[in-house]
Amino acid sequence: MSDNVKINVNGLQIESEPNKLLIEACEDSGIHIPRFCWHKRLDPVGMCRMCLVEVDTPRGKMLVPSCTTEVSDEMVVDTESEIVKKAQEGVLEFLLINHPLDCPICDKAGECPLQDQTMAYGPGESRFVEEKRHFEKPIPISEIILLDRERCILCARCTRFSDEISGDPLIEFIQRGNKTEVNTFPNEPFKSYFSGNTVQICPVGALTSTSYRFKARPWDLKSTRSTCNGCSMGCSIELNSSQNKMLRILGVDNEHTNQGWLCDRGRYNFEYLNSDQRIKAPLKKTESDREETTLQDVYGDLSKIIEDRSNKITFLLGSNLTNEEFTSFNEFSNQLGNNDNSIYLNEDLLFKGFFDENIENAKIEDLNKSDAIIIWAEDLKETLPILYLRVRQAVKNGVKLVVFGHTNSTLADISDVYYSGETVSNNFEIVKDISKLKEIKEHIKDKNVTAILGKASPSQSDKSIEKLFTYLKDNSNLRLLNAFNGGNSFGAFQTLGSVKGNREFSSEISKETTDLLFVVGADPVGKSIFSSNIKNIINEIPTVVALDLFMHETSELADYIVPTSSTLGEKEGTFTNIEFRTSRIDKLIPSPGQALSDWEFISGLSNFCKFEGMSESLTDLNNKSFDSFDLDTKPTFDNLDKPRNLDGIINTSIPKIITTDESIEFSDTFFVGKKLYGDKVTERHSKSISLLGSSQFIEGNETTFEKFKLNSGKCILVQENIEITVSCKINPSLPDGLIFFPKNRRNINKLDFSKNIQILPSHSMEVLNVN
Amino acid sequence: MKETILLTKHMRENPEDSHFIESYEKSNGYSTAKKTLLGSSPEKVLEEIKASNIRGRGGAGFPTGVKWGFLAENEERYLVINADESEPGTFKDRILLERDPHQLIEGIIITCFAANIKNAFIYIRGEYAKPARRVQSAVEQAYHNGYLGKNIFGSEMDLDLVVHLGAGAYICGEETALLNSLEGRRGEPRLKPPYFPAVKGLYMKPTLVNNVETISSVPWIVENTGEEYNKLGVEGSTGTRIFSLSGHVNLPGNYEIEMGSTFGDFVETLGGGIRSNKKVKAYIPGGASAPWFRGDQLNIKMTIDDVANNNSMLGSGAVVMMDEDTNLVNAAKSIVSFFAHESCGQCTPCREGTTWLEMILDRVASGRGRTSDLELLLDICDNISPGLSWPPKMTTICPLGPSAVSPITSLMKDFREEVESMIPTKVLL
Repeated sequence: MSDNVKINVNGLQIESEPNKLLIEACEDSGIHIPRFCWHKRLDPVGMCRMCLVEVDTPRGKMLVPSCTTEVSDEMVVDTESEIVKKAQEGVLEFLLINHPLDCPICDKAGECPLQDQTMAYGPGESRFVEEKRHFEKPIPISEIILLDRERCILCARCTRFSDEISGDPLIEFIQRGNKTEVNTFPNEPFKSYFSGNTVQICPVGALTSTSYRFKARPWDLKSTRSTCNGCSMGCSIELNSSQNKMLRILGVDNEHTNQGWLCDRGRYNFEYLNSDQRIKAPLKKTESDREETTLQDVYGDLSKIIEDRSNKITFLLGSNLTNEEFTSFNEFSNQLGNNDNSIYLNEDLLFKGFFDENIENAKIEDLNKSDAIIIWAEDLKETLPILYLRVRQAVKNGVKLVVFGHTNSTLADISDVYYSGETVSNNFEIVKDISKLKEIKEHIKDKNVTAILGKASPSQSDKSIEKLFTYLKDNSNLRLLNAFNGGNSFGAFQTLGSVKGNREFSSEISKETTDLLFVVGADPVGKSIFSSNIKNIINEIPTVVALDLFMHETSELADYIVPTSSTLGEKEGTFTNIEFRTSRIDKLIPSPGQALSDWEFISGLSNFCKFEGMSESLTDLNNKSFDSFDLDTKPTFDNLDKPRNLDGIINTSIPKIITTDESIEFSDTFFVGKKLYGDKVTERHSKSISLLGSSQFIEGNETTFEKFKLNSGKCILVQENIEITVSCKINPSLPDGLIFFPKNRRNINKLDFSKNIQILPSHSMEVLNVN
Repeated sequence: MKETILLTKHMRENPEDSHFIESYEKSNGYSTAKKTLLGSSPEKVLEEIKASNIRGRGGAGFPTGVKWGFLAENEERYLVINADESEPGTFKDRILLERDPHQLIEGIIITCFAANIKNAFIYIRGEYAKPARRVQSAVEQAYHNGYLGKNIFGSEMDLDLVVHLGAGAYICGEETALLNSLEGRRGEPRLKPPYFPAVKGLYMKPTLVNNVETISSVPWIVENTGEEYNKLGVEGSTGTRIFSLSGHVNLPGNYEIEMGSTFGDFVETLGGGIRSNKKVKAYIPGGASAPWFRGDQLNIKMTIDDVANNNSMLGSGAVVMMDEDTNLVNAAKSIVSFFAHESCGQCTPCREGTTWLEMILDRVASGRGRTSDLELLLDICDNISPGLSWPPKMTTICPLGPSAVSPITSLMKDFREEVESMIPTKVLL
C-alpha cells in the first residue's frame, strides 16, 4: 500500500493506486463524478465531457476530463467548484438540446442516466428554441435490436463495446459534427452474439431490444440476482419481472466471470417462461393419447414400480439442474440401492477430462495473468461465449494465444499461432511431433500457461488431447480449464462424483437393464448425436417418466410427463461453473400450473415410497451438496447471501471426478458442433430469438466444396427418409476435405451422425426451368 | 515596406517551370541536402534550426527546434508534413506545394536526416488536387534521381516519402486527427495527454508533425545558417513568413515578409489599401480561429508575441480585412457556420454548441433575434470556452470548438451595438 498516491479531492485527502483514472479513484472513495461515455470495462475516450473536474496544474486550475486523467501524487482536484458545476450544466444542456422529450414512452425512463443526471446536475429549463435534430424513429439494426438515433447522445459506448470487447464492429459513427449518427454498414445488420450488451450499457433509450420494448416501466420491476445456466460459464445475472412475468435479464458485473457482459442467448432466451405451451399438469399416456392426471396418481403408479425391488431404475438428467437437484437424484438413487452408475448426464461430449492429475484447476481470471493461452476445445464463441470474450480480453492485454484447429476458427485472427490442416488432421489428431513444433515451444516453455482443453469434436480421440496435455504439463507451469460447456455440468461432476453421458447411455441401457427411466429436463431424442439409438431405447423401456417444461421429441415418448419449474427464475438453488465457482440461483416468478421443482418431485415421491433419511428441505439438500467442504468456503445459501460472497465461492480443491474416456468412430470427412442458437425447445418458444438459429448450413473451405461439386452455394443432405436443403458456407480456416455440421440446428439435428449421410448438389431454379 | 524573398525566390524567378526538378536543380536545388547528408551531422542540423529560432508556421507557433528535440527515441519514428491547409483565409502552403514542391522535399530530406527518420508522409487536403498532383510527380522525380529511397546521394541514409490525400475535413489539420486519418480511421483528434505525437504519434510511434512552410524553410536555414535566419524579423518572430492577405483590400495575395511591421503598413503598402478607400471596420489577424481586431488597432505589429499580447493570434498568417460596409453579424455567422460544419462530432460541447451558435446567429442575422440571444450566445460560448479568456480554456477535446467562439466574443466585445441593432424591438405577431 506504500506505493499508493495521495490526492486531495474537494479538500479531502484520499489514497489511490498510482495510474488509476481520476474518475475511478474518486468513485472508490465515494465521490461520484457524473459521466456518460465512461464505462469501467471500456477504454476511456473523454467524449461526453460530463466528467470534467478542476485540477491544479502549473499553469493554474484547468478543467480536465476525469475519465482520461490519471491520478498523480499530491494532485489537487475540485469536483464541485462553480466552474465545474457550470461546465456540467453546460454539457447537459448541450446533450438535451437535441434529445427528444419522449421520456413518457421511452423504455429507459426511470433508469436513465441522462434523466437522472439532468435532475442532479442539469439546468432547470431549456433555452433552446430551435428545431431539434430529426432522424427516422427506431430503425431495426438486427432482428433483436432497434436504434433510435434521435435519443442517441453519441457516447460511443456501443461502438466501443463492439470494437474492443466483442470484436465485431458492425456499428460505427457515420457522418460528422452535428449530423453524426451511429449506424450499421449498408446491408450488414448488427448480427453479433453480444449485441444485447450495447442495449444494457446505452446511457439513454437509443438502443432497445425487441423482447423488452414497451413491456414495463423500471419502477414496476421486481428483480433478483441469479446465475445464468445456459453454459458452464455461470454468468451473474439480474432477473427482472413484472406481474409475475419474466421480462428482462441483465448482466451483473462479476469480476470473476462475466464482468457485466452476457451473450444474447443468455440474455434473451427467457420468453419461453411465459409461453402458453408450458406443461401445466401431469400427463399420463393412454392407449391412444395422453390424459391429465394428478401428481398423487403419478406417485402412486411409480411407487408401485419402485417398491418391486427387482425393477431397475435409471436416470438421464439434463445439465440445467441445480446442484441441490443433482444431490436429490443421487440420494434417491442410493435409496433404491443403486450404485452410482444409474445416473447419466444428457451430454454428448464427455471425456474423462483432467481432474485427477496434479494440475491446478485454472480460474477464469488466470487467463489475464498467464503468459500464454492454449485452446483446443469446441468452438468457444458458440459454446462458452463469455469465456471467448475473456480470451479476447487477455489477448488484448498482451497474453499470447495458441489455438489448435479446426473448431475455434473465430480466434484464428487474434491468435499468435493457429494450427490448421498441416498440423491437425481431419480426425483432430496432432500429426506432427508436438515437441518439434517450435512456435508453441516459444510461447510455453517454462512459462505460465492456461489451457482450455476439451473435445473439439465427438470424433476426437481422448489420446489426442492427452498428448497435448502431457506436453503442456511437462513443459510449462500449467493451469487448466476443462472445457465442458453444458449448463451446470461441473455441478453434476462435483455432486455426483462420477458421470456418464449420452454415449454410455446409448450403449449400456436397454430394456434388460432398465424398467423405469426418468428423463429430467433433457431432450436427447431431439438434440443428441445418438438420438436414433436413444429413441429406440426409450421406446422399449417399459416405463418412462419425463420431467420437463415442454412437450418435445423426448417427452412425447414418455408414459408420464410431470411439469417442472425452470431453473431460470422459477427455483432456488446453486450453480457451479467451469472454475468450480458456486453461486446462487434465485427464484423470482411462480411456476405455471402445477409445475414443481425436480427436487420437490423426488421429495414427494420418496415420501410416497416411505424412504427414510432423505433430505427434507432445499436447505438440507444445499448443505448435503457440499458435505465435504470447509465451513467458511461452503457455498451454503447463508454463506452465498453474504455480501462478500455474492460473486460466488470458488472450490480450489479439485474434487475427484470420474468421467468416461472413449471416443466415437466417425468418418473423417466431417465433424459436428453446437452453434450458439439452435433448436432447443426453450429457444423455439422464445419469440425474439426463435428465428436466429433457423438458418441451416454446412461449412467447408472452397476446395472441399469444389471437390464435392457443391460450389453452387446450396446442397441437399440425404439420410434414409430425411432430405434437408442447406446452404454451403465457406469457412477458409477449415482444412481440405472436412465439413462441419451444426448439430443443434433444426432438421440437421434429426440426422444420425453415426450413419451415412449423402451430400448432393442442389439444382438451382434455372436448371429446373430448363428441364 | 518590401518583401524579403527566401522561400518564394525560386518560384518567382522561374514562374513557368519552378515545380520541375530540372528547374529546381538549376537554382542549386538539392545541393544543401546533398552537402548535409554527405558532410554534416544530425546534431549540427538541429543546432542550426535551434539557432534560427524559427517557430512553427501552422498556427500554434511552437519553436521548431524544441519540437524536434522532444521526439522520443525509438527504432521507428515518422515525419508527417501537415499540408491540410484549410483555415479559411489561408492559402500560403498552396503555393509552396504547387510551385516549389522540391524545396519541401529537400526540407524533408534534411529534417529526416536530423531526426533519424526513415519514413515520411505528406498529408495534403483533399481539395488541393493540383498541388497534390504536383507534389506527387515531384516525389516521383526525386525518387528517380535518387534523392529519395535507398542510399540517398550515395550516403547511408534511406528515406521513403508517401503523399496522402485527405478526404475534405478541416479537423484533419489538427495534428492528432491528421494522424488518425492517415492511419485510415475517422479524422477525430486524440486525447492529449497521453497522445502527444512526439511520444505516441502515427501508429503509436514517435512522430514529428510539421507545417509545409516550416519544413520549406529548412533548406535555406541549413544553407545560410540559423544565425543568418535569426537576424531576419524580430526577436521571437524570426525569419520571413508568407502572409495570405484577403478581404476588402485592393491587392489580395501571398506576401513573404519579415515579421515586425504593423498590419496597417502591410495593408497600405503591399495590400494596396482598402477598396474604394473605405475604412477598416475590423480585421482577422491570423485565420478564422483568431479573435478579431478593430479598425483602430491597425498599428499592432505583425509578430507572434505582439498579436498574442493583444489577445489574438498570428495563427496561420491569414489576414482578412473587413471594411466599414461589412455586416459583422453575417461575417461572424459565416465563420461559425464553417466551424459547425467542420466539427468532428466527437465531444459534446463542440458538436452541439457550434451548431446552436450557428442557429442563433442565423436568427439574429435574419432579423428574428431576441434580446436574450446576446447573453445566450455569450453563455453558450462560455460553456465551450470557460471564462472566454485568451488563450482559450476549453471544455472540448481540441481547439476547434473554442475557435467558433472567437468571432462571437469579438463581436460582443467591440461591436455589441451592431448586434443589438439587428434585434427587432417589437415582436411582430
